[in-house]
Amino acid sequence: MTFVPPSIDWAALAPIVIVLGAAVVGVLIEAFVKDAVRRMVQVILAVVALGAALVTVAWRWTVVQAQGPAELVGGAIVEDTPALMAQGVVLICAFLGMLVIADRVGGEDGFTPVAAGAPGSTYEAQARRLGLVQTEVYPLVLFSVGGMLVFPAASDLLTLFIALEVLSLPLYLLAGLARRRRLLSQEASLKYFLLGAFSSAFFLMGLALLYGYSGSVRFADLAAAVPAMVGMDVVLLAGVVLVLVGLLFKVGAVPFHSWVPDVYQGSPTSITGFMAACTKIAAFAALVRFLYAVVPGLTWDLSPLLWTIAILTMIVGTVLAIVQTDIKRMLAYSSVAHAGFVLLGVIALTSSGISSVMFYLLVYGVATVGAFGLVTLVRERDAEGNVTGEATRVEQWAGLGRRHPVLAVCFTLFLLSFAGIPLTAGFVGKFTVFAAAVEGGAWPLVVIAVLASAAAAFFYVRMIVLMFFTDPDQDAGSTVVRTEGTTAIAVAVCAVATVVLGVVPTPILSLTSEATKFML
Amino acid sequence: MLQLIAVHLLAALAAPALVSRFGRRMFLPLALVPGSAAIWALTRLGDVLAGEVPVQSVSWVDSLDMHLTFRLDVLAWLMVLLVGGIGALVMIYCAWYFATGAKFLGRFAGIFIGFAGAMLGLVTTDNTLALYTFWELTTVFSYLLIGHYFTRKGARRAGMQAIIVTTFGGLAMFAGFLILGAMPGGSFSLSELVREPPAGTAATVAIVCILVGALTKSALVPFHFWLPGAMAAPTPVSAYLHAAAMVKAGVYLVARLAPGFAEMDTWRWIILITGSATMLIGGYRSLKQHDLKLLLAFGTVSQLGFLILLVGQPNQAVALAGLALIGAHAMFKAALFLTVGVIDASAGTRDLRQLSGLGRNLRGAAIPGFLATFSMVGLPPFAGYVGKEAVLEALTHDGGAYESALLAVVVVGSVLTFAYGMRFLWGAFARKPGVADAQLDREPPGLFVPGFVLAILGLGAGLLPGLGEGLFERYAATYPAGEPGHLTLWGGIGPALALTVVIVAVGLGLFAARGLVERAQDAVILGPDADRGYRTLMRRLDRAAVAVTSATQRGSLPGYLGIILVVTVVSAAIALGSSGVQIGQVRLFDSPAQLLVAGIIVIGAILTAQARRRLKAVVLLGVTGYGVVVLFALHGAPDLALTQALVETIALVVFILVLRRLPAYFSNRPLKSSRWWRAALGALVGVLAMALALIVPAARVADPISVLFPTEAYEYGYGKNIVNVTLVDIRAWDTMGEIAVLLVAATGVASLVFARTRTRTGRVERMRDRRSGDAQVWPSELEDPASRLRPAQGTATAPRRARSWLTGPGALAPNRRSVIFEVATRLLFHTMLVFALFLLFSGHNAPGGGFVAGLIVGIALTVRYLAGGRYELGEAAPILPGALLGTGLFLSAGAGAVPLFFGGVVLQSVKIDVDLGILGEMHLVTSLFFDIGVFLVVVGLMLDVLRTLGAEIDRQGEATGTASPDIAHDSPRSSPDDSRPLVDAGGEH
Repeated sequence: MTFVPPSIDWAALAPIVIVLGAAVVGVLIEAFVKDAVRRMVQVILAVVALGAALVTVAWRWTVVQAQGPAELVGGAIVEDTPALMAQGVVLICAFLGMLVIADRVGGEDGFTPVAAGAPGSTYEAQARRLGLVQTEVYPLVLFSVGGMLVFPAASDLLTLFIALEVLSLPLYLLAGLARRRRLLSQEASLKYFLLGAFSSAFFLMGLALLYGYSGSVRFADLAAAVPAMVGMDVVLLAGVVLVLVGLLFKVGAVPFHSWVPDVYQGSPTSITGFMAACTKIAAFAALVRFLYAVVPGLTWDLSPLLWTIAILTMIVGTVLAIVQTDIKRMLAYSSVAHAGFVLLGVIALTSSGISSVMFYLLVYGVATVGAFGLVTLVRERDAEGNVTGEATRVEQWAGLGRRHPVLAVCFTLFLLSFAGIPLTAGFVGKFTVFAAAVEGGAWPLVVIAVLASAAAAFFYVRMIVLMFFTDPDQDAGSTVVRTEGTTAIAVAVCAVATVVLGVVPTPILSLTSEATKFML
Repeated sequence: MLQLIAVHLLAALAAPALVSRFGRRMFLPLALVPGSAAIWALTRLGDVLAGEVPVQSVSWVDSLDMHLTFRLDVLAWLMVLLVGGIGALVMIYCAWYFATGAKFLGRFAGIFIGFAGAMLGLVTTDNTLALYTFWELTTVFSYLLIGHYFTRKGARRAGMQAIIVTTFGGLAMFAGFLILGAMPGGSFSLSELVREPPAGTAATVAIVCILVGALTKSALVPFHFWLPGAMAAPTPVSAYLHAAAMVKAGVYLVARLAPGFAEMDTWRWIILITGSATMLIGGYRSLKQHDLKLLLAFGTVSQLGFLILLVGQPNQAVALAGLALIGAHAMFKAALFLTVGVIDASAGTRDLRQLSGLGRNLRGAAIPGFLATFSMVGLPPFAGYVGKEAVLEALTHDGGAYESALLAVVVVGSVLTFAYGMRFLWGAFARKPGVADAQLDREPPGLFVPGFVLAILGLGAGLLPGLGEGLFERYAATYPAGEPGHLTLWGGIGPALALTVVIVAVGLGLFAARGLVERAQDAVILGPDADRGYRTLMRRLDRAAVAVTSATQRGSLPGYLGIILVVTVVSAAIALGSSGVQIGQVRLFDSPAQLLVAGIIVIGAILTAQARRRLKAVVLLGVTGYGVVVLFALHGAPDLALTQALVETIALVVFILVLRRLPAYFSNRPLKSSRWWRAALGALVGVLAMALALIVPAARVADPISVLFPTEAYEYGYGKNIVNVTLVDIRAWDTMGEIAVLLVAATGVASLVFARTRTRTGRVERMRDRRSGDAQVWPSELEDPASRLRPAQGTATAPRRARSWLTGPGALAPNRRSVIFEVATRLLFHTMLVFALFLLFSGHNAPGGGFVAGLIVGIALTVRYLAGGRYELGEAAPILPGALLGTGLFLSAGAGAVPLFFGGVVLQSVKIDVDLGILGEMHLVTSLFFDIGVFLVVVGLMLDVLRTLGAEIDRQGEATGTASPDIAHDSPRSSPDDSRPLVDAGGEH
């Protein structure tokens, strides 16, 4: 029993190392840097780290294009084009999300000054008065991003599980840090944690079964074992199903979606945007890798399950979104519906499926970060005219288009993109995914998907009508607060990207279509 | 063509500024923009007649097959002419129609031109995706135009309805295009699709989807209700969108695809049924309208059905007539709408019951009104007559059942058309008895011109039928069936002419009996009302969504978890059931004792689930745990049994420490029904787990890795206790990770409990820290049963230092003390410590080890704490848990690293045998040091738990005066905590 240390190609791991390293440094900053400058240092560190990681991913992309894909760390992680593409998309959205997170909108941090204090306690009030800030947020986000970078690149089940936990645990915590409506936030956090723990347990159980089946946790060995092992189909199928449960939970597919609305609503809005975009990207990328590696031998057994889930996800997400009166909940359900649309591309099981999923995720991620970024800006006013929490009730947005046209136009853009109206990025995304599904023979799904889109268009359009054509309700007074600028930058970038990707998507499309060129 | 669209785009962007700056007259120069399209089309007349199709292609998104390909064949040419020409005329009309100071005119102008541009693209592009894009653009623009008076609620609602219905249709069409494009043999090019139409189920579904799109856009039954609703729009919008342009998009699409697909059965039946129903229902409904605009709207619905019915047939002659009627309809219907606009502006009403005498007093409106109506009802020599005559001619020519049905529909529809046409003329222009002549404002002449032009054009086109035939025959020839038809004013005496006479006669009769018809319509409700159906559908959808939300998304964690569990159980059960399950060999028991213990475990588990008191549940849970201990022991695994017993004990203690701060009871029981299904679900999950446990080992083909452990443990770890060697050697890395996690968890617990008093974390509270004024530990209102045996208060002498063990002044409140417990503690504490050390050192070969030893020390400390309170804990272990944890981790890691200095690998074990003379031979394995580290960490963790969840919570309780309630029994004086559910108790904090 000799232990052979794997040779580690640090250059290839650089994006992950940069982000996780910055997270560790962030923890040290918590301990050693003075309060006065701590927040500033954390923000700069986080933004720089994400930017640097993004640049590194771009560099690795060129390396992989030249030298082909490689296995890293003894095969636990692979460096290939789909992984790098997913990492790039995660980093783009994380970078934009970080800009929103770092913004002290309306002059106050978006997070509770002291997470350990009971809501409403004098302790909390004191912390607020002293102007404490919970700067652990930044390293936590970085840890989570680190997990998300490993997730799509993991090529064995154990690494996948560890990445899953690394990306999830900080999110559980972050969900509970809202500055206002703290009980809601803590409830969200607890629910997310408990349900997440359950799904992780399922995942682990499936992992164990698959290991028992194939004698290995590596995807490649598992795939090789699929046709070879006769008589153990039960274990294989049960294992794959359980692992899928874990992944679909992260994706927020029906029926594993129930946490989504509660958590999206309760979490600090900037975190919601980050989480909604990046988690979904990473989880879908991992799901695709798992399915493409393992399932080809199982298509026949699994497609009824995947089809059912995709149909349910699209329909439930859409139908429930119609009746929501809270913007964050509405966006949450719409994100459930989007998960269903992405599943179409996943189910296609073609190479165009992978690239279409990547493109869709980019489009969706950008619009999501932008939309939630805008939600952070619209605030309620109490009777004395003080600006309080976010105005998330839909009717509070009435007439916003007349008072704050730029904001409303940007929000409209994101909504149109979600709805998949032509000339926005969402249309191209939907188109690529649907076309891939038709190519893969899943045209009935496409018909359902388009009908769901039509129903979805209803509530997006209703929101637009509300903003531009409805008179504001005097009682539900809402106002728009000033940003420090970073949210504005993020939203502007998202809006521009939404239009550009809709009108001239060719460069990005050709990039994503190369995502399947070198796949391990 | 791209340039034309670009011009539209630029003009649309510039228009708002221009109109705001220069006023409504700017509509005149802006009318040149759509006009340029018409003029351009006219210049191409020669090419079109010669059969040359100009094509222009710009690649847009190559990878998606999205190209901006435009081509001007006959059909496109006709549509461009209509879209551009009528657009220009309507814009001229706008220059006078709106009031000078009307608001939002700039916006209106921009959107109007944008719409014209989108429409232009729609009818000329050859790429289905580009067509869809333009299609949706027209939807959005039309929404904005319909909702132009957005301050009016009715307009907003109408606009919303229109956009929902047409977007729905558009998306359905998109799905169809997508399937046709991406399927094998498919294409995103319209011309290729028509040339080689794909076949198969998918193609049929796709065609249905596309037809849904066309039908919604052209307001065919059952989607026809949005068009009358959209009459809330300004009249120019109605004239352009709802007569000439947008609603024609559906007709255009059907005409475009018919050459390829018209012989498909699905296609034919859909066209026949929806087209006929629309033609008849529209005509019938318009017979009872009082609002002239609504009358025209229903008439338009009827005509659109007619047109689609015609251009959707595979027959060449019918199609030729259809094309001619598309042109005719655009001209007369736009003219009629514009006329209504004039009437409305001039008389101030559109209600035909209030209009009287306009035929004489408003000649400028009456003349185009009459001309256009004659064309509509099909009187010679107007364009409408030529078209309708050609239809009758073609249909009487072929005599199949399908054609006969079609003919009947056309005849009945034409009768209705004639009747409502007359009704329109009568309503708008006749002098009605008992109604005073309408007061008329003078309108500028410019307002009358466009209507005149269109009406005259209708007449001109009718007079030159040969030109139309020469133009359209080329496109009609692409249809798959029948013979070429003819457009002519005089087709000779035959069945067609006879039918025309019949139509006119019956139509006149219907008109004459208009009062009767209206009353009959009021009395008889003909079928379901589509508008109401739509609203009911939307409401139902809303309600269903609310119902589903409240059923599945009520925020209840058990509910969410239930869903996930149900799905998991079902899918796993399907997976198990579908793949030939084999259950391995099952041996019920080795000895009857096992059966007995298992029975106790089961009973314990059931009672746990039933328990309402938290403490009871925890204790019963303990029963199951200790049952497992016995099972281990019976199976011959004392080491496992020992470890399990200790873990159970510790878990129980920690549970109880925490429970002190929770209400005694669980929250109110759920309703009976949900309790039952939860129990059932729990049982199901249990059964599934059991099934897996039975199936999976049987399915195993590889040897389990644990088979190797006994020899590995002895040869490499030099120990016989496999459990311990696994911990410290075989899986030492895991252990290292675990103790690190333990340390973090302990620190986390401590930091949460100490969060409010950060300063106290660095101190151990001992007896001497207690001040005389401090509250007693665990004060209680219970009666002290031993009070009579104690010396009276105040007479007790201060105990000497040496006697403070368990009885010091900081010890428990008197009524909490238990003599038996104290004596037992005195006997056990040191014994346990020694025993723990023994286990620590002997653990390598015999049951024991660092982990177990640490737990025993932890229990010893627990005993001290329970017997003597928090100060006693400080006395028992006057050391900070952090120090223990840190030292332990350091020791383990250090011990693991030492072998590196001797050329070994991390965590390698070495055996050292030392002869200690009289003490015998010592057999030392280096992994012992690692184990000592584990021991220290476990002790540190236990101390930390006791200090935080025990002592610190006591202290905080004493400080705030809120003692923990007695959870072991209900106090005689019931406290509010006990009787109330948790929710209420939680609400107070």
